[in-house]
Amino acid sequence: MNDTFNLTRFSLLLKKTVLERPVQLIGLMGLILCFTLILYSLVLYSIDYGSAQNISFIWGFIGGGTVLASFVFGYFNTNAGGSAYLTLPASALEKWLCSVLIAGIFFLVIFLSFYRVMDYIFVTAYHKGLDHTSPLYQRLYDHVYLYPLYQNNVVNKVYIIWANCAGVMLIGSLYFNRVAIVKVSLLVCVVLGCIYFLNLAVASALFSNIDVAFPFYTVLIKVRSEVGVIQLPQRAYQMSDIFINYILPATLWITAYIRLREKEI
Amino acid sequence: MIQFNNLSFGYSRKRLLYKNLTLSIENGSIYGLLGKNGAGKSTLLKNMVGTLFPLEGTISINGKEPKSRKPSFLQTIYYIAEDVFVPPVTIKQYERLFAPFYPLFNKESFYKYLLELEVSIDGKLNKLSFGQQKKFVIAFALACNTEVLLMDEPTNGLDIPSKAQFRKLIASVMNEDRIIFMSTHQIRDLENMIDKVMIVDDGNLLLHSSITTIAEKLCFKTVTSPPIGVKVLYTEKMLRGTSVVIENINGEDSALNLEHLFNGVTENPAMAKQLFPLN
Repeated sequence: MNDTFNLTRFSLLLKKTVLERPVQLIGLMGLILCFTLILYSLVLYSIDYGSAQNISFIWGFIGGGTVLASFVFGYFNTNAGGSAYLTLPASALEKWLCSVLIAGIFFLVIFLSFYRVMDYIFVTAYHKGLDHTSPLYQRLYDHVYLYPLYQNNVVNKVYIIWANCAGVMLIGSLYFNRVAIVKVSLLVCVVLGCIYFLNLAVASALFSNIDVAFPFYTVLIKVRSEVGVIQLPQRAYQMSDIFINYILPATLWITAYIRLREKEI
Repeated sequence: MIQFNNLSFGYSRKRLLYKNLTLSIENGSIYGLLGKNGAGKSTLLKNMVGTLFPLEGTISINGKEPKSRKPSFLQTIYYIAEDVFVPPVTIKQYERLFAPFYPLFNKESFYKYLLELEVSIDGKLNKLSFGQQKKFVIAFALACNTEVLLMDEPTNGLDIPSKAQFRKLIASVMNEDRIIFMSTHQIRDLENMIDKVMIVDDGNLLLHSSITTIAEKLCFKTVTSPPIGVKVLYTEKMLRGTSVVIENINGEDSALNLEHLFNGVTENPAMAKQLFPLN
């Protein structure tokens, strides 16, 4: 018997994971999509298309993805639930992969597909509602377009923030047995606050008139009404990018696997 | 066979619950693990199933290490926790989702046990009462036919007829390859069911013996006054005299009273160890 990975056993585990609490899992996914739709509509109603697309994508993807990630290891609220999960005859790798598949791949595919369809419907409705004979038609038509989910600076940042937040939540839900999402969120806020003030202290020691010092890209100097950006040297900038975009999320997601192997209840 | 080698466990390294515990548990026996609340019964079971890890020493179950929680090991052991976890699915759905993980699962036996324990098959599991959920989990665990079955307070939440039915079921599924290990502080529930007794208190193993040996070495009876000249493990004044647990020097046959044995062993551990040497 292969104790590390077995495709049949993994399929059974995935089926069990989805079907044992369909209302919670599918319901939560539905809730995230509904929230995104409502947010899109509300912002569209009060501001415009560009803001609606950005805000709904940022909050729906990062917020929804983080909440879902806190849920996939949500077996440890009770001793019996945790024991049943840990003693189910499947390997830690299979259990971790199952959660990664749900919180990572499935969420990504379902959310992006839904978002594309939703956005298409709104944008198409807008385009169809335009007066073809108006002299401003082409300008108004071009003003609203499908939200690019690829090669879009905002979207790229959102993907990275989501990968980090979901990774933190996966680990956190294996450390905190109850209300993990609240405890992890508080912890993240405290850590980010500490990092900000530490960075501010370091930046203030090196430069005067520091206005904002959030690592690593937003270190601003303000002199009267003029604001300037302090940029990292190119090499340091690239290294920060690689760390935040790849190394940190990969470390977080892999740490969740290590933590699952060592989880006690 | 379950082998503990110098097992030390504690929720903190400064305060160990078990220290250098070494013992063997043979196949083909139903063990009763007795102890007060907080004595370390559940902790021992959790170490055996691999949801808690020893700080030092090892546990080996049929040659496998629980700590690694490998599927090949987990298929051979079933642990029923004191509280019950059931997902919001029907019994049939549960059987379809969970049974494939246990290669020796027997569907016919499962439904037979459910019938015997009078568990309603309709409706979702999370809507059942605690007692019904507990009986469902027991039926499923028995049907999995694992080599080792660990049960933490299995009779908690069961009504009187269900406790009797539970005893019958346990007796019917026992065979010489299996180990059934039950922890409880409700001692009377295990009477006439177990064939080996372990008593733990404050992380110490005070007694590990078979019922036969206990009956050979101890005599349980009610007397008008405590006897003189024999070792008395326990006395308790009753309405009709004094119940005593004394050394069985005359080879008398008497009915084992687990409650009195437990009280005697926990109150007088030195004498218990003298009568029933560990290892």
